[in-house]
Amino acid sequence: MRAISANRFYAWLWRGLGALIFVFMLGPLALVVLFSFANTVVTTFPMQGVSLKWYVALTENIYFWDALTNSLIVAGAVGFVSTVFGTMAAMALARLHESIAGPSMMLLSVPVMVPPLMVGIALMVFYVKVGLQLSLFTVILSHLVFTQPFVILIVYARMVGFNYATVESARDLGASPLKAFFTVTLPFIRPTVIGAALIAMALSLDDFIITFFTIAGGNTLPTFIWGMIRTQTDPTINAIATLLVGLTVGLSIVAMVVTRYRG
Amino acid sequence: MILWLAAFGRSRSLLLVPSLAVFVGVFLAPTLFFFVVSFWRVSLFDLEPTFTLDNYLRTYEEYLEVGAYTFLMAGIIATATTVLAFAFAYVVRFKAGRFGTILLFGAIVSLFGGYLAKVYAWKTILGTNGILNTTLLNLGLIEQPITAFIYNPGAMVVTLTHYLLPLAILPIYGALRGVNDLTIDAARDLGSSPWEAFLYIILPQCRSGIFASFAFSFLIAAGDYVTPRLVGGSSTTMIGNYIESLFGFRFDWPLGSAMSFSTLFGCVAILLIANRLLATVRRK
Repeated sequence: MRAISANRFYAWLWRGLGALIFVFMLGPLALVVLFSFANTVVTTFPMQGVSLKWYVALTENIYFWDALTNSLIVAGAVGFVSTVFGTMAAMALARLHESIAGPSMMLLSVPVMVPPLMVGIALMVFYVKVGLQLSLFTVILSHLVFTQPFVILIVYARMVGFNYATVESARDLGASPLKAFFTVTLPFIRPTVIGAALIAMALSLDDFIITFFTIAGGNTLPTFIWGMIRTQTDPTINAIATLLVGLTVGLSIVAMVVTRYRG
Repeated sequence: MILWLAAFGRSRSLLLVPSLAVFVGVFLAPTLFFFVVSFWRVSLFDLEPTFTLDNYLRTYEEYLEVGAYTFLMAGIIATATTVLAFAFAYVVRFKAGRFGTILLFGAIVSLFGGYLAKVYAWKTILGTNGILNTTLLNLGLIEQPITAFIYNPGAMVVTLTHYLLPLAILPIYGALRGVNDLTIDAARDLGSSPWEAFLYIILPQCRSGIFASFAFSFLIAAGDYVTPRLVGGSSTTMIGNYIESLFGFRFDWPLGSAMSFSTLFGCVAILLIANRLLATVRRK
């Protein structure tokens, strides 16, 4: 009897530890979201009242709309191009022997391991020296580097379980390689590809450091937030941060649902 | 290499070309060029191609202390992150049952919570007029706001650990998921204590996951400049802050490049040593 209750005690102790770390991870973000609806400028408990005035203030800021537009352009373009390039690469890698595919993916993933500050300044120096005008185009180009490894890894994992006999029968029956891809391969990997695209978009939306160095004028949402954090403390920042968190978390949750991600 | 080229020769591998082009054109070439710049010098506000080791000497002479401090902080942050990530992944895998799914979902959600949003969250929590202080004031527990919460190394460690934790959980959880329950049961049946089963069965099998988490956390922490600026205060300037300033108002790209590569090489050296130390945890 005593042994059982001791076991129970330890089980709850472990769960308590898990829950504590869980709260540490999500608590601060929850506070940002919570105080974006606060009525007062001072962030304090207990909250004085609920209002949407910080969101209203945000919609009246024209620079916010510019930043949002830029962010959506960049995330859309990066999501599309990164997914197309990454899926192509994953399909090629899946047909190679693992001893070649593994190291190749590792190599393509190196940009994710280098601190973003160094990637950002190296790219900025390079663009300037090559004579490429810094713009949204250079931001999109830069984002491809750290988003395509994720697309490749996700799609590759799916392609490993693919039965190539289906493509070969389609080809035998007279389908062109492209037609075989769109009628046989793509339906099989579609959810995974959509999921990978959403992850790439979430990563692109969230990037601050590399964007900061490779954008000329103008802002994306993160660089806009950066400008606000440095110059003022204003609950409008909570509103825009909530928006950004909502966008990236929303995209990643949808991605997990469509790819049927199970831990 | 030859195998790789031979495999690449097949037409199917042409599908790899766009990705490789991005990798070479937008990562490899810029990085190599940036490395070359570290041997150049600046004269009259322009880059002068030459070959000099002055930038590395200056890095060594003027920024050694900052570098050592950066590595120390990165080491503390990476250790804290890895320990917490392991504890969390261990609870999810072995101790929490169905509750574990919810925990893991939370970790994945906070993975995409926004880098700046997280740093800003800690600024609003720990600041002089932050949530912690105003709440304590309202409750009458303190008379004056405590200014010591923010703008110190501790605040930076907490903030970066918070940011890196979900990223560090995934590789460790991935490794723990591969551990076969039967081998643990077998070890226990043969008379080993839970601690021995942990040390000789579980730990050796997730060594690479632990190292991946530690290495990633260390590299990102050592290269960060945003967190020290926003919550670390003037007392905790990291090498990233100096590097960033060299590309802003203190136009000196060659020195900035030398500092970047010195930091990167220093990180790699430290991580190789860490990997060696971790390798002493052997399967028995």
